[in-house]
Amino acid sequence: MALAATSVKKTMPHTLFHTALYASLALCVLGLLWRSSAWFRVRVGPDARAVTLSQRLGALLRGTATALFGARVLHILGACFLDVLLLRRLFAREKPRWLGHLLILAGFTLLLLMHAFEALVTVKLFPGYESTLAPYLFLRNLFGAMVVAGIALLYFERWRRRTGLVSVRRPMAAAFAVLLGFVLATGYLLEAHKIASPQAFYRMAKRYSGTTDPGELMPLRAVWASEFGVAFDDLKEPFASNVMERGRQMHDADCAGCHAKPASAFVSYPVSRLLAPVTALLDKGRADIWLLYLHVFACFLGLATLPFTRFFHAVAVPISLLVNASAPNRAFSAAGRASRRALALDACLRCGICDAHCSVAPLARHLGNPYLLPSHKLVATGALANGRLLRSGRESDGFRVAEGAFLCTDCGRCTNDCPAGLDLEDLWQAGRGDLAAAGLPAPAQWVRALPALAWAEALEAAAGQHTATDPDASCAPLSADRRSFSRCVQCQTCTNVCPVVAQSIAADHRVDLTPQKVMNLLRLGLRDLTLGSRMVWDCATCYQCQENCPEGLRVTDIMCELRALAAHRLGAVRSWKAPS
Amino acid sequence: MKYALFLGCKIPSRLPAYELSTRAVLLRLGVTLVDLEFNCCGYPARNVSREAFVVAAARNLAIAERAGLDVLTPCTCCFGSLRHAISFLEEDPELRSRVSQALAVEGIAWSGKTEVEHLLPVLARTIGVDALGAAVRAPRAGLRVAAQYGCHALRPSNVARFDNPLAPTTFETLIRLTGATPVDWPRQLDCCGDPLHESNAPLSEHIARAKIADAKASGAEAMCTACPHCHLRFDSAQAGSPKPSIRSLLYTQLLGLAMGLDEKSLGLECPESPIRGR
Repeated sequence: MALAATSVKKTMPHTLFHTALYASLALCVLGLLWRSSAWFRVRVGPDARAVTLSQRLGALLRGTATALFGARVLHILGACFLDVLLLRRLFAREKPRWLGHLLILAGFTLLLLMHAFEALVTVKLFPGYESTLAPYLFLRNLFGAMVVAGIALLYFERWRRRTGLVSVRRPMAAAFAVLLGFVLATGYLLEAHKIASPQAFYRMAKRYSGTTDPGELMPLRAVWASEFGVAFDDLKEPFASNVMERGRQMHDADCAGCHAKPASAFVSYPVSRLLAPVTALLDKGRADIWLLYLHVFACFLGLATLPFTRFFHAVAVPISLLVNASAPNRAFSAAGRASRRALALDACLRCGICDAHCSVAPLARHLGNPYLLPSHKLVATGALANGRLLRSGRESDGFRVAEGAFLCTDCGRCTNDCPAGLDLEDLWQAGRGDLAAAGLPAPAQWVRALPALAWAEALEAAAGQHTATDPDASCAPLSADRRSFSRCVQCQTCTNVCPVVAQSIAADHRVDLTPQKVMNLLRLGLRDLTLGSRMVWDCATCYQCQENCPEGLRVTDIMCELRALAAHRLGAVRSWKAPS
Repeated sequence: MKYALFLGCKIPSRLPAYELSTRAVLLRLGVTLVDLEFNCCGYPARNVSREAFVVAAARNLAIAERAGLDVLTPCTCCFGSLRHAISFLEEDPELRSRVSQALAVEGIAWSGKTEVEHLLPVLARTIGVDALGAAVRAPRAGLRVAAQYGCHALRPSNVARFDNPLAPTTFETLIRLTGATPVDWPRQLDCCGDPLHESNAPLSEHIARAKIADAKASGAEAMCTACPHCHLRFDSAQAGSPKPSIRSLLYTQLLGLAMGLDEKSLGLECPESPIRGR
């Protein structure tokens, strides 16, 4: 019976309480084992596919041993305190969110220790503990209020800092907030009801004064009705001063030693004032019992589903932060890195701080492709690794994810900004490797799969059917306009100054066309023949051709345009198929 | 003198020494640098959508414009990209209106008030040779370096408006001020190969090595750079090669040393990757 709090002991059958508790605990443990096993099963990146499960478990054991007995143990303890408990990384980036999160973390942890584990913790530490005593009554309200204020602040900050960018789906985030809110609400309501309840008064009077006789208790009832808010329906204020005097004496003798003023429950007490008119009804319906059942079983539900709700971050993020502290990135073996990536997929909270500061966010917005944004990219990287991304019929998803992955500039801001300390740079690199392995490399790579002529034929064959919107006007105005190339006199100056042509002597990077031939194909109206050409895709954009063209033609600008055009048009006729 | 400092993506993540030394040198020269939250210059998007490229670039310009500042960038490619976006916006009214719409979502606008400057001309012309010369306390006499402008500083010259694209002298003048000697090297104006590295690594390496060999044969002891892309490409093209290589030296580091700034403040001991948490 050690686990159940006093109030629970009195109300709930022991077996029911314990069966429910241990069942939820078992579900929680099984869920945690399943979720954490993914950190050793999921493979992100080609190098992760080369290591075995036993190598990854070996790396875990070695890493843990080094962490516990190595030179960095103080470093890890420091991280435990500063990163995990005080949320240092969040503090460095967004202080209001840090405050909100810290309020939730502190309020929740303290409620858990002082209130939920009262029989395990509080009673042992403070022998005179009673849940009704000061300061516990007040503190319970305070901790609950901290959680509520924290949640409100986080939602407010989310709204205040809205970016207009598509935010990634956060399954179960709302469900978790609702559950947490429900636990808090039932807790406050239960307490409020007990404050106003004559039933609860008589129960306690019996225990501490040894009587339940309304007449005998009259003076005490008068004091509790007028000063502590018990809603007796058979008493009417005002009370005679001698009655009050006698009541106060009784109060001092039997109650005050063990019971703080109910008003110190600064949330529950005002709520109890609202409940006062219906208190008799609630007493009759035994609200003290069913509110307690709701409160306790909502907690059990939270416990059982912890591994599958947003709450799981309370496990994954601290582990991620401690793993970071255990060794510098370069010290991780391929097996260790593989597990770290899988952990990162779970530890991401989808908080969106990375998205808000992403260097290519304006491109994501303009191209209408959220997969440029870190949080979406992380989800896609996980889906790709789990085989959920590339399903037949979802080819366009694969293309968009690849576009996002290859437009990332590796500026490192997301990694710097991540409050969970995830090494996102490493994840992106691994994800690009996975995309390439799935036949979705950068355009400059997949274009090479066919010679320019074959691409032109593919375009011709698909002329009637491909539905991709023709981006000519917006992305290729120069190559669509004769005036920008018709003055070419084929003097070959562009070819002569081109460093790519100059290096083309080696067999492994011979160009198929020269800049001057590209211009000539445009003059001949054969633009499609240039789109897949090595020359167009190997152009270094050094602008020698454009600078030196005696006719002032914008040769390099046209090359850039042709690449953008090719990415659209050749992309639409690619023969890539998702594995069915 | 006050500028918004545009670092781009490469400097903070891969070459923090360039940021450190730029800040140290400009601080000593009395230039105030303001940090705004810029985004990517847009260059990577040129291969996908011209409009997205211009929107990204114009967003940066609009952010600087809102702060009432001109932009100073130490990255040659970002410089070229931002200048290019301006020229696209100026020549194409239809593009301009679409870009304006895109920016209006965030309540910002581009009107062309903000100038984009590369670090080298700011040093040579705005701060001026005389002021620089007066700041030099410890000339690096005897050091022979190959000045690497970077393509997007010079070309296309009507967009970059940086220097004479065929016979530039800005960088050489700046190098002489430090006491070092710029060498003549035939492949000076060639590409460093970096833009090709993702798409065709062997070709990129060939181009880079040809330049390095040429600089070396011309008597240079170091590549003097003013662009993170060129700088890192030269270093990585030589990484793992058995022969002793010639190192890349950022111009801001060379100038800082000549000005008597200490090595630490110039990032000469900087670790390669500064990304926190790595």
